[in-house]
Amino acid sequence: MAVRPRTLREARSTYSSNAELGWWVFMRISGLVLVFLVLGHVWFNNIQVNVAEVDYAYVAERLSKSWVRVYDTFLLGFAMLHGMNGLRYSIEDYVQRPERRFWWKMALFTVAGVIFVLGAMTLWAFSFDEMGDAVRSLNQE
Amino acid sequence: MYRGREGQWAFILHRLSGVALALYLLLHVVDISLVMYGPEGPFNAFLAFYHRWPFRIGLVMIMAAVVYHAFNGLRIILMDFTEWGVKYQRSMWYGVLAITLAVGVPVLFKVLPEIWAGI
Repeated sequence: MAVRPRTLREARSTYSSNAELGWWVFMRISGLVLVFLVLGHVWFNNIQVNVAEVDYAYVAERLSKSWVRVYDTFLLGFAMLHGMNGLRYSIEDYVQRPERRFWWKMALFTVAGVIFVLGAMTLWAFSFDEMGDAVRSLNQE
Repeated sequence: MYRGREGQWAFILHRLSGVALALYLLLHVVDISLVMYGPEGPFNAFLAFYHRWPFRIGLVMIMAAVVYHAFNGLRIILMDFTEWGVKYQRSMWYGVLAITLAVGVPVLFKVLPEIWAGI
């Protein structure tokens, strides 16, 4: 379906399932949240610093702050859901044969699931407090 | 080929920037996850590779995609949830392009010298 409904009332009448209507609403809400989260992320990590200076010490110091972990968790969650649903829309639009469409979507969800877990592990499964300090003192020597 | 007007270009750019951002997101989570190998791991070597100029030009394009997708997304929200949004969608799209340039050009002035210094 290349043409998506343009108003909430149209969306209600277009989508046969509540799930699809739910995703339509979710894309708009998560999109609004992501405007702030992503522009903030780019501001902190691409504008406030020279990206060429980003290294292990920089990331470990960032991830040792709990507000960064919470911020990045929301960023990861919203961006993955919004981005993967966007890719799903593209698959629905451009892959015409139903069985191929099914397998493309299964491949997408599998890859996205694995990468989401990888991201969540990076944010929460390690104590970068100590690693950040260790690297910082190495750099000062 | 269907030759639509501004609305079609708005859609094509939104779709292209969205797909690019989603694929970049997957790559970006994987490369940052390499910090789990610790300070002696492959993270620093990997990032040094990413900091070469072709990838930094790519990153500039990703930032442009972020700004366009964000502001065109706001345009879509206004079209969907206000009475007047559809009526003004064309002028809003030119507004989106203007904002993308207004944000993008200062970013270029900040980032291009960094890339140049790193060559």
